[in-house]
Amino acid sequence: MTIKQILIFTLILAMLPASLAFAHKVIIFAWVEDGMIYTESQFSSKRKAKNATITIVNENGMVIHKGQTDQEGKYSFAIPEKIDSDLIVKLDAGTGHQAQWKIAKNELVTVHSANDVQAAMKEKEMLEESPSILKIITGIGIIFLLAFTMKFLKRKTFQK
Amino acid sequence: MHISEGVLSGPVLASGAVLAMAGAAIGLKKIDYDRIVHVAILASAFFVASLIHVNIGPASVHLILNGIVGLLLGFAAIPAILTALLLQSIFFQYGGLTALGVNVVVMAVPAVLVHYLFLPLLGKSSTLTFVAGFMAGMLSILLSSLLLGLALWFTDQNFLETSLVIITAHIPVMIIEGIVTGFCVTFLLKVYPEIIPVKKK
Repeated sequence: MTIKQILIFTLILAMLPASLAFAHKVIIFAWVEDGMIYTESQFSSKRKAKNATITIVNENGMVIHKGQTDQEGKYSFAIPEKIDSDLIVKLDAGTGHQAQWKIAKNELVTVHSANDVQAAMKEKEMLEESPSILKIITGIGIIFLLAFTMKFLKRKTFQK
Repeated sequence: MHISEGVLSGPVLASGAVLAMAGAAIGLKKIDYDRIVHVAILASAFFVASLIHVNIGPASVHLILNGIVGLLLGFAAIPAILTALLLQSIFFQYGGLTALGVNVVVMAVPAVLVHYLFLPLLGKSSTLTFVAGFMAGMLSILLSSLLLGLALWFTDQNFLETSLVIITAHIPVMIIEGIVTGFCVTFLLKVYPEIIPVKKK
């Protein structure tokens, strides 16, 4: 196999998923509105995480609230009383898929400004981002770089 | 198939990491000088395969391709899968970095196994090659699902139920990977037989 063939082969491999590329991780968003905590869970292929377990724990890891997402991947509940700690909303979508979202203590009481909402939306978009072709090519590049480094190192011992 | 951060307990993560490192060391020693590029090609294929999704029924699952990687590489599949998984976890947040060892064990052990089970069947006849490829692709996913269930067992306590959920979710993948692997080996044997380590007579 020539270098050219190798290049073509990897190129085909790299192009193949470009149209199909979806990350397969699970993500959760949570926000506070009018004394309620709303959560939205999905796989980053935009599929909703149905019937997934939502667990809310405080800073010390104590479970405060538990629930299950509906068909839309949503779950909401009233903020439990006497909370004086950051809250961590954990999502367990089964078979090892987990994610979490942190709600800071002060977020539970203050009213959000437009800026906050914008920042949160940005964070949401970043999480939803699909793997880019650039990352795929970089990844394959690294694999081949390692391989050729190894080839180089082994060649030395080979000649001794 | 990728286990995320914070799912497993410390001892499970640690034993996974130790096993993966030992396996990778053996694999690296076993790679022939002439096979290094083949290892890189298959590692790239594995790296990319996880991005291809199959949306069937309630599950969203992706190709894994550990069958063909293992079938063609044997022990060298372990460092190949380790590298690919590491890159997947850095670039695409697939599986946690701490769970890397466990993920490697889950995917690489069946890969090595199918190498010894099905490699001798390749190249005997074209039907047999396809069947061996299909079985390798299918069985590697089945075994990986079982290993995944086993890894989660220590935290979920419900091995049978968890495994059943995972296996059911991966039935479409098993079939698709079987077909893909079958066609790949048949095709590779025709156009690029050097990549298949069959003993020439």
